[in-house]
Amino acid sequence: MALSASSPVVLEGENLTMRFGGLVAMAEVAFTLKRGEILGIIGPNGAGKSTLLNIITGIYIPSSGEVRLEGERLNGVPAHKIVARGIARTFQSSRLFGDLSVLDNVVIGRHTHTKAGVFDAIFRRGRAKAELEAAAAHAETLLKSVSRGLHEQRHRPAGELAQADRRRLEIARALATDPKVLLLDEPSSGMDDADTDALMDDIRAVCAQRPDLALMIIEHDMRLVASLPHRVMVLDYGQKLADGPYEEIRKIPRVQEAYLGRKATQHAGA
Amino acid sequence: MSELFFQQILNWITLGSVYALIAVGFSLLFGVLNIIHFSHGDVSLLAPFLALTVISTLGSMLGDLNSLSVFVLALLVAIAITGLIGVLLDLVVIQRFRKAPAMMALVATVALGIVLRELIRHLFPNGSNPHAFPRLVEGDVMVGSLSVPLFSLVVIAVSVLVVCALFFMLNSTRLGLHIKAVSQDRDAARLMAINPGRIFRATFFVASAIGAVGGLFFSSYAGMARFDFSIDVGLIGFSAAVVGGLGSMPGAIIGSLLIAGLDTFVQAVVPNGASYRLVFVFLLVIGVLVFRPAGLMGRTLVEKV
Amino acid sequence: MTRSEHSARAASNPVAGMATVVVVQLAGAVFLRQFLLIEDWRLVIGLLLIFGAALVLMERVPSLEARVEAAFARHSRLALLLGMAIVLGFPFVLEGNTYALHLCVISMLYAVLALALNFQLGSANIPNFATGASYGIGAYASALLALNFGVSFWVALPVAAVVATIFGFLLGIPSMRTRDSYLALVTIAFGVVIHQLLNNLEFTGGPNGLVGIPVPELFGHSFGDPLVIFGQELPSQANFYYLSALLVLISIVFARRLHDSRVGLAWNALRTDELAARCQGINVTWYKVLAFAVDAFLAGFAGTIYAFYVGFISPDNFTFLVSVTIMTMVIAGGMDNILGVIVGAFLLTLLPEKLRAFSDYRILFFGVTVIAFLMIRPQGLFPQRLRRYGD
Repeated sequence: MALSASSPVVLEGENLTMRFGGLVAMAEVAFTLKRGEILGIIGPNGAGKSTLLNIITGIYIPSSGEVRLEGERLNGVPAHKIVARGIARTFQSSRLFGDLSVLDNVVIGRHTHTKAGVFDAIFRRGRAKAELEAAAAHAETLLKSVSRGLHEQRHRPAGELAQADRRRLEIARALATDPKVLLLDEPSSGMDDADTDALMDDIRAVCAQRPDLALMIIEHDMRLVASLPHRVMVLDYGQKLADGPYEEIRKIPRVQEAYLGRKATQHAGA
Repeated sequence: MSELFFQQILNWITLGSVYALIAVGFSLLFGVLNIIHFSHGDVSLLAPFLALTVISTLGSMLGDLNSLSVFVLALLVAIAITGLIGVLLDLVVIQRFRKAPAMMALVATVALGIVLRELIRHLFPNGSNPHAFPRLVEGDVMVGSLSVPLFSLVVIAVSVLVVCALFFMLNSTRLGLHIKAVSQDRDAARLMAINPGRIFRATFFVASAIGAVGGLFFSSYAGMARFDFSIDVGLIGFSAAVVGGLGSMPGAIIGSLLIAGLDTFVQAVVPNGASYRLVFVFLLVIGVLVFRPAGLMGRTLVEKV
Repeated sequence: MTRSEHSARAASNPVAGMATVVVVQLAGAVFLRQFLLIEDWRLVIGLLLIFGAALVLMERVPSLEARVEAAFARHSRLALLLGMAIVLGFPFVLEGNTYALHLCVISMLYAVLALALNFQLGSANIPNFATGASYGIGAYASALLALNFGVSFWVALPVAAVVATIFGFLLGIPSMRTRDSYLALVTIAFGVVIHQLLNNLEFTGGPNGLVGIPVPELFGHSFGDPLVIFGQELPSQANFYYLSALLVLISIVFARRLHDSRVGLAWNALRTDELAARCQGINVTWYKVLAFAVDAFLAGFAGTIYAFYVGFISPDNFTFLVSVTIMTMVIAGGMDNILGVIVGAFLLTLLPEKLRAFSDYRILFFGVTVIAFLMIRPQGLFPQRLRRYGD
């Protein structure tokens, strides 16, 4: 892995607080993410994990605090521009474009790397078409590199895919934006152990091909959390409980109580 | 206070009450179903035609009766039937769109409104023409030196009563609590052994029956029933609910008063204002939506991701 | 058997493929001709049954559908040339029936309007109830230019389209902040406001509208005169027939190019999931406004041709019900399917005219059609197709 102690910070959050009416969903959370690093985020439901992702991707505007990508402030930048700057994400409840083909889903991921507007599409068709076909070719290559099985299904509607393939497609779609930072929101939810293992291999392969890509993964599955991330951050009630290598954070009693619980203790013992 | 000014104020509140009776239905249905029942205005304005039908049927069946009692009976029957028609529309059409994209339910209910209007036009004798519709009560009451039409007082009083009854029902009865539960979380309500289907039907009945009262008042106010009244009145009722904030009952009432106020003001002040009233009303709606997309009393919803 | 194998088989036999194209196109033309010319309502029903049977057959036997599709894909140039020949020759086989020609013109104008609305309703799922208003703005803008400033039709045409587009942008602005039901209300309100203004303003002629819109001329030939081609005389409606046909062609080119472009993809993306679309870098607001503008642009063109064709316009030509009619065509024909939308426009323009006995029930029929399609077959007669690249 490319990650080393001297790797530069690519994404950082400072003092992030999010209030909805009277409810505080996140209180003064800070984090950093280095180039090539994989950061796991764990915490019980409602701990603020998804809120954090939504703040980073511009869907929520934090009540206070700021997010910086390579030193540039992201607060107030609209979601679609944040993508163009290099942050891509997947969703917990995979939000694919179900009535479009698998390939089209990935081609849409190339949106920020293509330019044709209405005028080009109508009056400079050759150029617009060449651009889109290049995007499609890029999407094919990307699909193939993420998963052969998915590539074989590229002409099917995305809505017909099996659960595991939906996750893969979401990852492929996000990768199509050429991100510097990739945020995965519970990639293994709804998967059995075999699917999760395959997913972990796919994620490892993706990272191996892109040594500079930084990853943030929200997860519940402890096997994934134990083996994939370099570092794990624990959130609880919108606050940061702990931050460090899995081997360290799992020993903290408060973390065990708050989240890991019996199941994790068993894993740890096993 | 000049007499004319007083008349306008009274007009405003009367009209506002009528709009509110229709607007609360839009808001209630939206709160519970999370879709717009665009044809709610058309359902509401079925009531005057139903009442006329009941009057003529009873008249031919029973001969000459005490006309006031026949009239009141006809109104009550019309209100009940309108409520049932609301339920029927849900069963036959609207419930099919519970899980569909919002756009589909929307277009379907717009079409449903058209179908209802056209059905009146074709099924009611001479349905294309306006039909005289009696005033509920004639006469004036003297308040100090001012004469106040009894009709306005009745409309305002009944509207206040109906709205109070609705608030009481929503806040203090079992049915009301179930309605609230379903509107907040359909699946959680189901787990608490509340049958959402039954709650939907009850909501449709209540909303349509209240709308029917508004429809009857409107026809009585205008002195006639027309099949195409519902285009204006339905749009205004919906607009009032939107301006106030869909899903908020007090919002629907405030929205209605606001729109009725603008309506009355434009007709009184702007030359030829009656022809332009909808232009002003809709400019208000568009303005509110641009600056406060969730309406005046609506809460901005945070999308769940 | 997969679709690609079928394509391979069809491709391996070019004669069969070409024959398929010719047979399908000619059958379509013959069908439309008969539909336009017959009077007896029983025959109309019979033709409808045949049409329905053909659709059912295509749906039940996917291999047949795949074959036709592959043949058209492979011989697209032949299909285009033959299609143009059929459109050009069509007025000659109508036996000088001016009414049939008139219906063709109106159907084609509605086809343009339906294609315009399809950018929103079909591609982006934005319920716009104001297409009729944009149509009216185009018609009034061009008619006013011609009547007050003596501007010729050919100049008024693009100017009116631009005026309609500007209004389309204005209408699109609230869409930046509002969605679904709210946006639908804004479009309905917009339509009502435009109608009420046309009905009351002095310079638009109030409820009487505008009369005496001059007949266009081209190279000294007045569109009010019969058209003589190859020694054969066609009724004056033929002038507008060819003009509308050209507009339909332009609209199809627009629709296809946009659909197959990055813009069409972005619309499709926000149709399914606005938030996911934003997270792929799509400026959802901008694309929505764009859909409004494109819709208004084409509707403005159609409005101009209508105004100059009929010669007089009034606010009642551009009501909310016109918008609902256009919406019915898109939904029944098939959202986001160009052929489907055009078929929908023709069917729903011609049916009420052909079934005269029911013409009074036309609006009721449209309402029921919309509800029935949304409940039973929301994808319409011709469902949308997945895109293919590099074929």
